[in-house]
Amino acid sequence: MKMLMNRTILLTILLLIVQTSLIPWLVPDAWSDRLLPNLPFVITVYVALFAGRHRGFLFGLGFGLLEDVLFYGHLMGAYGFGMALIGYMIGLVSDRRPRTLADTAVATVIGSGILNSIIYFVYKMFQLTDLTYGFAAYWQIVPTLLLELMITLLIYVPVRRWLMKNAPAAGDENAA
Amino acid sequence: MMRNKRLFILMIGLILVIATLGFTSGRTGLSWPERFVNDAFGAVQGALYRPVGAVSEFFRDLGRLSDVYEENEQLRQTVARYTQDKIRYNMIENENKRLQEDLNFTKRQKQLYDYQYLIAQVVAGGSNPYDKTIKINLGAHDGIKPRMAVTTVDGLVGLVSKVSEFTSTVTPITELDPTDSDQISISATVLGREDQAFGIVDFDKENNMLQMSKIDESATIEEGDLIITSGLGNVLPKGLIIGTVVTSQVGDFGLTHTATIKPSAKFDHLTEVFVVVAPDVDTP
Repeated sequence: MKMLMNRTILLTILLLIVQTSLIPWLVPDAWSDRLLPNLPFVITVYVALFAGRHRGFLFGLGFGLLEDVLFYGHLMGAYGFGMALIGYMIGLVSDRRPRTLADTAVATVIGSGILNSIIYFVYKMFQLTDLTYGFAAYWQIVPTLLLELMITLLIYVPVRRWLMKNAPAAGDENAA
Repeated sequence: MMRNKRLFILMIGLILVIATLGFTSGRTGLSWPERFVNDAFGAVQGALYRPVGAVSEFFRDLGRLSDVYEENEQLRQTVARYTQDKIRYNMIENENKRLQEDLNFTKRQKQLYDYQYLIAQVVAGGSNPYDKTIKINLGAHDGIKPRMAVTTVDGLVGLVSKVSEFTSTVTPITELDPTDSDQISISATVLGREDQAFGIVDFDKENNMLQMSKIDESATIEEGDLIITSGLGNVLPKGLIIGTVVTSQVGDFGLTHTATIKPSAKFDHLTEVFVVVAPDVDTP
């Protein structure tokens, strides 16, 4: 199992454009500041799981910083840090383990929760938000996490089919 | 050993990140790579955002088709009132001009409130929950500068925060942070009683309402009053609609009043906004 990185990067750039220009229209008014899916993050989870921790780290760092530049309002760097860390962590924890649909789902749920919490605490640290953590979790982190879980499950089959190549390499322990 | 190395790299990463966060916070300029990324993405985002918006608006309009009759009735009344007001306005404007001539107003004073509205299309919205931004397709090339006010036909939306060559980023008034030292506070007043009631407007995120504080005790603010920018401080132009008063109560220390304001402008599903260009009063 090998990830086709060029294709993945291209697709993620497209997804980032979709995320900023199309998704705001699909989310109803009342939910517009609660459901904020981070599509490059979802792909980072896949990269970390299927291409290893180093690629997961670089992929997360690159797209995190790109998002930072595009969403730059008060600060820059929160997404770059969070996504790089989570890309590395997921890669590290899932090393030498079978990667099933369930693993991907669990990785997305935990990763998304941690990423959004990191972003919350960065903004809290710089006193740019005065929400309590409980409110932020209820208001934004949990709904976003569930939506990202749904997106992960929806794209599981296409990602396995289009972004991965079955390489019968000797060192590859995963037969899937 | 391996674990130590990882920890070491993590610490260095953390330090780098905190340095970046600190360095980028409160900065208004953009370096050329940031401008390039913003402009490159802006071009593609615009090509997607507008058609999707048009389709989405169409379906929304279909849903409200039954309201159109009522709305038409209201608009007709408004137009009738508007025509009358226009005649009055022309008279007053002419008289105002004559008086300005008589009182020897300088050129700068005459042009002080001569605002120009530039139409901009929204091309994208950010998805950072604590740092909501809107991207518009006008930039430094079109004469946009940081801190210009951005409105829709309904009311004040935000301020331009970062400017690239062909796109710029708008911070909605819901994100303006009152605790930040170099941050702008929106000075506001009540329409019709501009010389009596003043206050500072900021956003209360948990209730999704604007809050006008530091209103003088003697000033009367009632439910339904229209709140507009006062133009004091010369950051925001004068007379932009902010919202309507929902409730008014005594403030924290009992010396001032606080009013809760429902913003007039919507902050999501925006398509077209206006950038308000005030005449450049700083440069002679």
